[in-house]
Amino acid sequence: MSSLALLAEIRQSSERRPYAVLKLAEPLLNHGEISSTSEDTWLVYEQVLLAALDEGQQTLADSLLGLLRTRFPTSHRVQRLEGLVKEAMGNPDDARALYNTVVSADPTNVLVLKRIIALLIAQDKPSLAIKELVAYLDTHGNDFEAWIQLSHLYLDHHMYRQAAFCLEEVILQQPANHYFHLCYAEICYTMGSLDLALKEYLRVVELATDNVRGFYGVKLTADRLIELRAAGAAKSRRDAQLPFSLDAVPQLPVLEKLSQLATERLVATYSANNAASTPTKALEDWLKQ
Amino acid sequence: MADGSEQTMFLDPAIRDWVLFPITVIMVLVGVFRHQLTILMTGEPPKPEPKDIRQGKALMRGQILAQNNAYIPSAAFQQRKQYLCAAYEEGAYLKNKASKEQSAANLMTDPKNMEVMMDGMKKQMMGIVPQTLIMGWIQFFFSGFILIKLPFPLGVRFKQMLQSGIMTGNMDVRWVSSLSWYFINLFGLRGVFSLLLGGENAADGTRDMTAMSTMGAMGQQPGQPQDFNKQFLSMKDNLAIVYHEWDLENVEQRVLVKYGKQPRLFKSARK
Repeated sequence: MSSLALLAEIRQSSERRPYAVLKLAEPLLNHGEISSTSEDTWLVYEQVLLAALDEGQQTLADSLLGLLRTRFPTSHRVQRLEGLVKEAMGNPDDARALYNTVVSADPTNVLVLKRIIALLIAQDKPSLAIKELVAYLDTHGNDFEAWIQLSHLYLDHHMYRQAAFCLEEVILQQPANHYFHLCYAEICYTMGSLDLALKEYLRVVELATDNVRGFYGVKLTADRLIELRAAGAAKSRRDAQLPFSLDAVPQLPVLEKLSQLATERLVATYSANNAASTPTKALEDWLKQ
Repeated sequence: MADGSEQTMFLDPAIRDWVLFPITVIMVLVGVFRHQLTILMTGEPPKPEPKDIRQGKALMRGQILAQNNAYIPSAAFQQRKQYLCAAYEEGAYLKNKASKEQSAANLMTDPKNMEVMMDGMKKQMMGIVPQTLIMGWIQFFFSGFILIKLPFPLGVRFKQMLQSGIMTGNMDVRWVSSLSWYFINLFGLRGVFSLLLGGENAADGTRDMTAMSTMGAMGQQPGQPQDFNKQFLSMKDNLAIVYHEWDLENVEQRVLVKYGKQPRLFKSARK
């Protein structure tokens, strides 16, 4: 396949492969082949510019930016790229000023709104980033990736309740994706809502057979709940600072069955790939590949 | 002229050259012209403002909540339901809260909506006017003679419509005038237009006819601005009656059954 076709494929799949893109584009740019081909030209320039920023090639990025600006002087899309270059060169304030002008001209430009938030995160200003992100989500409530980003920001600050809220929004929009249930389960487990955590972990292994993280979660929660049940019968309310009531938890036999199931499946998964019974052996196998 | 099942007439070839082809060619050209003109007139679709987007997405949030409520725990659902119902009730998401009490008539005076409606009406004009013009032109110039013979038979009732200019007693209905050729072209050129102008084109005559009929049926002006307040209130009612059944209520059983630790129980025997 020609380089152009490969580059187009990478654009389609929206993967981030800066090294591959630069290698493919290098001959095209150097030998001037790219300027003759009509439609793709500017798309390729944009793609290579982003790859150059990823790989730290400032001069290449600058020259491409110059080309794009000459061709599209008033384009918001090019202004966003200009902002990216400024960020890469270490002028976050200039970049922010540029993004602000774009947003005031066009308040619906989602890409630039998100770029501002990303800039704030990169500048390590999480509270500002959270504020902007919440404002963004007030308008665009159906952007589940933004909700995920917000949950990451909250988790960095151990604000588990808020992170759980974000994940609930994500699950509402993508209920069949086991990964989101997994994230939600782990947040619940960390918060101490073990009943909810157990149910969510079970949902994960229901949606994705033999999901190892899920089964680890099932085992840990089930065992902890067994302990609590056993202890709760004996001790009075001393230790009962639980954020949930033990009545919501399944009965002891069910818990034990679940714990047993988890153990079995984990052992089966790890021994299923014939070789590795020890880490050393696994490493050897992998090195031999 | 033979009287009988098979009437044969010999038509002047000049009719074919000067009527048949010109009508088709004119219709194709007018169609293309309309298409280009529509593109020129409508220009870029109006860009939504953030407040509009917010309105629309708030409604979507309610829909998603109503649809997928089973997948989040009851407490989470209740929290969201209460919040959204309160917000819909007091119009927190409306574009301009002051207009909440306005009737539909006032909505029309909103300048942005005026533009949308004018655009809709302009499009309709673009559809109807050329059709009427061509029909009139055909009636004026090309009436009073037979143009073509249809390859399929028709009922007698069509005689009046399709042989409009020609008063004869027993001429077969299959011989039709130029007006019916116009109608044949109207429906048939759709394929040609989609070849020439791509799938979504404004040159399609049938589209205008269906638009006219639906407009009559719905009794609503084209491009009327949606009344978000009403939609919010109806969504609030929908949410209020949702009965939350948590999908994960018996997930333990389902998982145990899935991994073969427990035989599948029938519904009646469910714990």
